[in-house]
Amino acid sequence: MHISVKPHPQFPAIYQVTLEDGAQRLATRNLTPGRNVYGERLIRFEGVEYRVWDAFRSKLAAAINKNLKTVPIKPNHTVLYLGAASGTTASHVSDIVGEKGRVYCVEFASRAIRELVNNVCAYRVNMLPILEDARFPEKYAVFVSGKVDDIYCDIAQPEQAKVLADNADLFLKKHGWIMLAVKSQSIDVTKEPSEVYKQETKVLKNRGFDIEEIVHLEPYDKAHAMIVARFY
Amino acid sequence: MKATIVKCSFGIFAFSEENALVEKVLFPKNPQNAAKTITKIESGKIVDEVARLIKLVKKKGYDKFVFENANLAKEAEKLGIATEVAKPSRAGELVRSNMERFAVETGFVKNVEEFNVWTHNVTMEIAKLRVKGAVEKRDLIIAQAIQTLDDLDKTINLFMSRVREWYGIHFPELDRLVDKHEAYARLILELGNRENFTVEALEKQDVPKSKSEQIAKTAEASMGADLAEADLKQIQSLCKDVLNLYQLRENMEKYLETAMEEVAPNVKAIVGALLGARLIAISGGLTNLARRPASTIQVLGAEKALFRALKSGARPPKHGIIFQHTYLHEAKKWQRGKIARALAGKLAIAARSDAFGGRYIGDDLKADLEKRLEEIREKYTEPPQVPEKKPQQEKKWRKNKRAHKR
Ligand SMILES: C[S@@+](CC[C@H](N)C(=O)[O-])C[C@H]1O[C@@H](n2cnc3c(N)ncnc32)[C@H](O)[C@@H]1O
Repeated sequence: MHISVKPHPQFPAIYQVTLEDGAQRLATRNLTPGRNVYGERLIRFEGVEYRVWDAFRSKLAAAINKNLKTVPIKPNHTVLYLGAASGTTASHVSDIVGEKGRVYCVEFASRAIRELVNNVCAYRVNMLPILEDARFPEKYAVFVSGKVDDIYCDIAQPEQAKVLADNADLFLKKHGWIMLAVKSQSIDVTKEPSEVYKQETKVLKNRGFDIEEIVHLEPYDKAHAMIVARFY
Repeated sequence: MKATIVKCSFGIFAFSEENALVEKVLFPKNPQNAAKTITKIESGKIVDEVARLIKLVKKKGYDKFVFENANLAKEAEKLGIATEVAKPSRAGELVRSNMERFAVETGFVKNVEEFNVWTHNVTMEIAKLRVKGAVEKRDLIIAQAIQTLDDLDKTINLFMSRVREWYGIHFPELDRLVDKHEAYARLILELGNRENFTVEALEKQDVPKSKSEQIAKTAEASMGADLAEADLKQIQSLCKDVLNLYQLRENMEKYLETAMEEVAPNVKAIVGALLGARLIAISGGLTNLARRPASTIQVLGAEKALFRALKSGARPPKHGIIFQHTYLHEAKKWQRGKIARALAGKLAIAARSDAFGGRYIGDDLKADLEKRLEEIREKYTEPPQVPEKKPQQEKKWRKNKRAHKR
């Protein structure tokens, strides 16, 4: 069987790949041809290079595979990415928004950002590394010009929803979208996962968000969910 | 007249109270220099650019300066300038919401595309500056924090044995009835004299019903001596301080959770924040821990026993401080050596990827480890034929633990 690539039926700039053995994978169009970020496979199809998007490594891909209805991140968007780590998911977001888009990558662990800076942002002009703590958004306000279209938050910390809302107050456009990856264990180990999701959505609602949907990420990620919401 | 000073990625600016631009000093168009200047300004240094701007603005008749950065305001004050702090300032918000346009209007760049490249390069340079030397120091701070936590435990234990002995003159039976130090101290602080240890009062302090009844009954029949008000007050004031120490301990623990997530998330995923921090402290830093082979990590904290074994040819200790992990102290004795080896192996990988810029692989490592544990538990359900001799070290740990739990 030959490899084939076709656009995702719903989401612009996201692709579906059928591999030699018939397996289905997600992919994005590589903004930096010839270069991969986390060991993912590069595929050429009809003269274009794509990066296979591993749903076991990226919660956004996992959520799409689990039939997320809305993926607010689109071409030309400006995205604030909280908890970018070494850029696994953020690099796919960078592919999606494309050359005219922009991804502000906030990450406070210098260990992780080292890779992000040297191996990812160095080659992607649309990705800006910001070594700051997401809990203090005023500290990086100087680098964020204007308001952003979407905020993606995956910081695996207690009070994630609050941190996200604080950032939204400062940076998110009216009617802008957020995606929040909730890791139930990092918030309160003693609670059942679904209990935690409820609690986090409550925080978001109180801070002016309309919850669009919640998808659970099993089997890609245990005790994880992705919350998509809109800002009013 | 008041002027507001606003810093951007390409220069610093002074605005009037009507938010009109009064003066500007643009940074040289070199991202590396700009990054250095911005970092210095953030830490509150009055760099040349800032000094120049203040001079220019003063000439125009402004005599009060509003800063968004409190450090900078403090430094400016030292130079005899009247300052105020506003964060964020209106002018600052205005600039940030139209940064691209502003950059073009001030003539720093020709167009938006050029500005985007500039911002990218400056943020890159700032991130690089920050990365330099950041990890090495943070791990030493963590080492101090965990040692403080251990000191707190020792201090609390010390004070509490005093409290128990002291209050024991009045109500000796309570010592056996309330095991937890914190609960014991709180009861004395809240209830005081043993006459007040009634069922209702105890239940109000969250003591379960049957326990409350038992304590109340014992209080009534207590053999202890009476206690004067003034004597009781002294004991209570010590209890209060101990409870404050518990509060401090809790804060320190929370701090360590966050700090470890930042500095060593992989190690944290496997052994938790506290034990992970202890391993870093014993090794004298994260890099040192990461340079150790798994076999050394396995016995870290048991150096004395190890050297004794090497000298005398006795059986070496199977595990050091990692014995504190629940995997180990809940395991069957004959399985511990194998579990310790598996745990140390994963720890070595985790520490390396934390120290040398690896990715987050904590969840995978933990899943692997748990699989291996399951194998060990299944394969070695029965104790081996020849009973093992208990190593010295192990006994010591258990004793310590019991003393601590009390
Ligand atoms: C689960 S990882 C993110 C993985 C990433 N989203 C991906 O899919 O490639 C969480 C990251 O958030 C970072 N983080 C946690 N708390 C943070 C905070 N307060 N500010 C900035 N980053 C934070 C951690 O250092 C870690 O790298």
